[in-house]
Amino acid sequence: MADGLTGRIREGIVGRIQALVAFVTALPGRVVGFLASLPGRVWRFLVRLPGEVRHALVVLKRALVGAEPTPGDIALGAASSVTLLLTLVTFLGPNDLVAYPLGGFLLTMVVGWRAKQARTAKIITFVATVGTVVTVGFITYYLFSSAWPAVEKWGSGLAAVPTGGSGEVRWFFWLEGVLPQVGLPSGWNPAGGTYSLLPTIWATVVVTAVALLVAGPLGIFGALFIAEVASDRVREVVKPAVEVLAGIPSIVYGFLGFSVLNSFVQTSFLDQQASFLIAGTVVGVMALPTVVSVGEDALSSVPRAMNDGAIAMGATEWQTMKSISIPAALSGLSAAIILGLGRAVGETMAVAAIMAAGQGIPEPLYDIFGQSATLTSRIATSYGDATDNTLEVLFLAGVILFVIVALMSVLAQYIENRMQRNLQGER
Amino acid sequence: MSEGYARENELVSEESNYYDRALDTSVALSVVGFLLGLVTLVDAVGLATSGAALNSLFLTLLVLGVGGVATVGLFSALGVVPMTSQRVRGVGVGLLVGLILLAVVSAPMGTGLNLATLLGLLLVGQGLVIGAAGVVSRLGVVRNEPASSAGLLAGGAFGVVGLLIGGALAATLFGGTLTWVVALAAGVGLFVLTVFPREDVSSTAPAALLLVTLGTTVATAVVGVGWEWDPQTLQGGFTGGVVVPLFTLFGSMVSGWAAAKSRAGFGARGRQYGAFLLINLNALLMVAAMVSIVFFVASQGVTYAFHGFRIGALTALVLLSPLLVGTLSWARSPAGTDEWHSAARQLFRVLPLAALGALAAGLLSVVVTGDAIEIPFVYDVLQNRELVPTDTTVRVTPELTVGTLLVVVPGTVVFAYFLRKYGSLSGVGSELPNQRTLQRALGLAMGSTVLLTLALAVLGETPFGLPVAGTLGLAAVYAGTLAAATLAVAALLGLFVGEGSPAERAHERAQAVKVGLFGALGLLAAVVFLQPAAGMNPSVGPANLVPAVGVLAAVAALAVALVTALARRSVAPDEPADRLRRRVVGEETTLGLAAAAGFLTIAALHVAVTGADFTLLGVTIGYTGTLSWPMVMSPYIPLGPEPGGILPAVVGTVWLVVGASLFAVPLGVGAAVFLTEYAEQGKFTALVEVATNALWSTPSVVFGLFGAAFLIPRLGESEGLLIGMLVLGFMLLPLVLITSREAVKAVPDEYRDASAALGVNQWQTIRSVVLPAALPGVITGVILGVGRIAGETAPLILVLGSTLNETEAIDVFGSFQFTAQPPFVYNGALLEATAALPTQVWAVITAGVSGSPSMGWASAFVLLTVVLGFYAIGILTRTYFRRKLDHE
Repeated sequence: MADGLTGRIREGIVGRIQALVAFVTALPGRVVGFLASLPGRVWRFLVRLPGEVRHALVVLKRALVGAEPTPGDIALGAASSVTLLLTLVTFLGPNDLVAYPLGGFLLTMVVGWRAKQARTAKIITFVATVGTVVTVGFITYYLFSSAWPAVEKWGSGLAAVPTGGSGEVRWFFWLEGVLPQVGLPSGWNPAGGTYSLLPTIWATVVVTAVALLVAGPLGIFGALFIAEVASDRVREVVKPAVEVLAGIPSIVYGFLGFSVLNSFVQTSFLDQQASFLIAGTVVGVMALPTVVSVGEDALSSVPRAMNDGAIAMGATEWQTMKSISIPAALSGLSAAIILGLGRAVGETMAVAAIMAAGQGIPEPLYDIFGQSATLTSRIATSYGDATDNTLEVLFLAGVILFVIVALMSVLAQYIENRMQRNLQGER
Repeated sequence: MSEGYARENELVSEESNYYDRALDTSVALSVVGFLLGLVTLVDAVGLATSGAALNSLFLTLLVLGVGGVATVGLFSALGVVPMTSQRVRGVGVGLLVGLILLAVVSAPMGTGLNLATLLGLLLVGQGLVIGAAGVVSRLGVVRNEPASSAGLLAGGAFGVVGLLIGGALAATLFGGTLTWVVALAAGVGLFVLTVFPREDVSSTAPAALLLVTLGTTVATAVVGVGWEWDPQTLQGGFTGGVVVPLFTLFGSMVSGWAAAKSRAGFGARGRQYGAFLLINLNALLMVAAMVSIVFFVASQGVTYAFHGFRIGALTALVLLSPLLVGTLSWARSPAGTDEWHSAARQLFRVLPLAALGALAAGLLSVVVTGDAIEIPFVYDVLQNRELVPTDTTVRVTPELTVGTLLVVVPGTVVFAYFLRKYGSLSGVGSELPNQRTLQRALGLAMGSTVLLTLALAVLGETPFGLPVAGTLGLAAVYAGTLAAATLAVAALLGLFVGEGSPAERAHERAQAVKVGLFGALGLLAAVVFLQPAAGMNPSVGPANLVPAVGVLAAVAALAVALVTALARRSVAPDEPADRLRRRVVGEETTLGLAAAAGFLTIAALHVAVTGADFTLLGVTIGYTGTLSWPMVMSPYIPLGPEPGGILPAVVGTVWLVVGASLFAVPLGVGAAVFLTEYAEQGKFTALVEVATNALWSTPSVVFGLFGAAFLIPRLGESEGLLIGMLVLGFMLLPLVLITSREAVKAVPDEYRDASAALGVNQWQTIRSVVLPAALPGVITGVILGVGRIAGETAPLILVLGSTLNETEAIDVFGSFQFTAQPPFVYNGALLEATAALPTQVWAVITAGVSGSPSMGWASAFVLLTVVLGFYAIGILTRTYFRRKLDHE
């Protein structure tokens, strides 16, 4: 008995270590392989480009005038696209003229609706779709273009490592050897032209880490409860309750934290100020519903047949959950945590309200009782009285947020899609 | 009783009976300990509680426990809620035993026993019970089915816990490098103990060790009430007030897990019981957290939010009317066999109606006796940076005046409800003489009245010097009202003319009822709006003409409903021909009720458009009503005796939500239709998906930055309402798009195929088949999305430009101007800064000492109510439509 047991444990541990080692050793090879294949990929892309463009034009034509247009269709499509383009151009440029092309577009649509309803409806829905994409394009472009001057002006000073009061260099993951230093604990002094975003980035990391500790385990357990444990009737109550939890506005959490939790911290944690601990906990509670509902989706999308098979073999529900549902949904659960982290990174008001006076960088870095502005709360609190220089830096903070959260979202989406594909393959 | 403790298949020995009882008690006490840990963590009960207070706390707990268990037991004995599970029964009994034990121990026997010590003792006791359970099982006294090990997962968890606790203990006791050695030893020790022995020992021994250690440190006050650990390297530290509850929470989870596992006999079944207990505790924690957040905000904000609230009893009754109708239809739904189960359900259906009826009766008694209900209370007002307690009352007065808006809104709701229930009466009964001509004439009259109204509104009352309003308008008003009165009364009288039983007459005269009521409604509605355009308000005797006719017609319509309802009772429900008659007469009743609500609404509309109050039999429909709610209905009043409210913020939020929806809903739904119905899956749809996801995940404050960089320079150069609307619209767009797309996708392809098979083209199919089928999903998505953006703050503080204590609400309707230059239509209010509910709360925070916390709580309460209201409506609509779909 003991033999089999120790053997199994050894096997398990050794197997996992081997897998990890294999993954790590294969990593450089994969990166090199990807880089080596890059020129080929670019070349293939360039070769395919004309075809792609032609295809896009065909799609565009089909959406605007149809596959076999009559003269009326062409007139309608041309009129609507020209007026719409002009609307866009005038809105970006001389925008007091925007009323004319916009009126033209509306008139075209009204006439089209009377004469060719089906065509007009298709054009309208197409315009709505393109509008969504264009909105995202505008957001990206204007954020980046508004932030660029800050990078030009301040360069690496934007990531300066703050030094302590007595001038000693702070340890910052060996980055202090590369980055410039600035003699301010906060790294933020708009009047003196010091704009280091490093403390705010670090604060975001700390808050997110605390939030992860709260939302991760609780969220996964909650997802398990709703997806697997609860009876139908209990699920009908708890699932909307989680949705409602997601609905509580962040400013309400912020006000709670501001008026109640901060004094709680002072008595219970001997802390004279607001802290990462409280902000992170509150943000974690706010990210919890995201983790629960996405995780629950992942668990429910595991095909019923897989679970039934395990039950039929005589396994208990917990065994089924542990060895079938959770492993099958593992990537979905990690996507849930990533999305929850995305929420936590982007959360503004609760952090801004709780750590309103936050400045500086915690000393030591892991001091969860310290306080500092995060990327989001820096934007919210400094925007009101910001000079142009400050504004540009705040836009840079926005860009960093935008990119981080978008990457997280894309990653989560990728993982989820892969999981769905795998499950469908097994079905 | 002995069979109560039998295992599934076998009767077991006396020893295992005790074993099971002890462990059931341990599970129950773990849950109690978990709750106590939560309560002490949020400081609802102090850890230092001792003596009589402590005893009364546990007596209260005992009473609650006895009440709960006894109720369930009673119903179980009656067979209403049969409790077949031995474990549930055992835990119930265990709960009682455990609570009695706790109450006995907490009786003031000695000194120095406070809640913290008691929690420590609880943990030690649990540890001993679990340890004993492990020993008993290992010795084979009870029969269990342990596996060979508790598993690596549990081992790893205990190892980490051992590392942490060993380290913490060693750091406080010795310090230095020894800390690491002890910590490592404890971690590895617990890991080995959990992984290598047989499962019954390996699940209980580490848990017992851990519990005894934690319990001893707390019980001996090594970590007690006054304990502090303030490391110099950190800016804060830990106190007993936090650590003891955390120890209790953690210890209870461990003891619950171990006890549950032992109770179910280890092995696969034991693991399941243990894991499920933890998962359930976690769910309990989440629901408790949500409920306490909502209740806490409500309890803090409710006094300020309702200061000076005053409402006339009659107004309250009118406001209740749609709810009464709703609960009535809820109660009408069929239910009822004589089983307990369905009896309970039936009660559940009738209960809301009964509750509302009782409330309505109470309000009526206020009207009849003339005594106001007054509830005095105290709330805090900020004066000179200090919170001053101020007296105020909530009053329900016996006034008989109802504000016009408060009639129009519930009236319209009730009208719409009954009109929806009403099906059709076309072709029923005998046609009236010249019915076609009559209907055409009525339509013509309504149309020409509307045209006359428009002409007078545009050209003035005397166009080209002709006194059109005085002659033509007056004539139209008189003719219209008289015709309406005649039609309504004729509809009623028609029911009494002719031969046969009342039901046969009602069936025969269906066309008269239909044409009479609909015609009167249309004419009267057209005439109401002609009056202000023509600038007059004719009267008969002391009362205005139009509302008098409205009330008369309402009475007639009610009488129609009453007569037909009585006639319907006399029809036997069995005969096929009679079944149709019942149906037809029932339709007439519904139509009568709808028309009555419609006529009353028109009478109230008359007051709204002319500004003249209308009184009948002492009841007044007034231009100004008897509802006064300062928090929501008045702006901030500087230097007043009362502080006023946050009307500008409420109005601002309403406009923001309306504007954002107007922007995002058409765009989102349109894109969803294109993507699912027209577009081929390919690069373009993938691109749109990426864009939507990017929009969905973008942090809200980034939208604010975008609005500031892109929209402000192009729209008025300053922060304002329009920019807030657009920015929130950008945020709403992905929510609407994603949910609409799901809804459109969920429409089965059979629908489209069936439509196509009938030769209907693609757009017609989308319009009349796909969109109606997807509508419920779209509506739900929009409501939930709106709920989310209504509470959004971060972008608004960048683009809305709101300030604390605004004294004026924004007036969007009154600010439209038409100009000759582009952009032709100009609305100054849209470009003005305004307040919104969330920014109001933020303003209180940033105002520091000059922000009134009580006002902040009240604003947060109002905001929470609005947002959760949207969520509740959204979730309810979704459940409703889902149920309906399932039934189909």
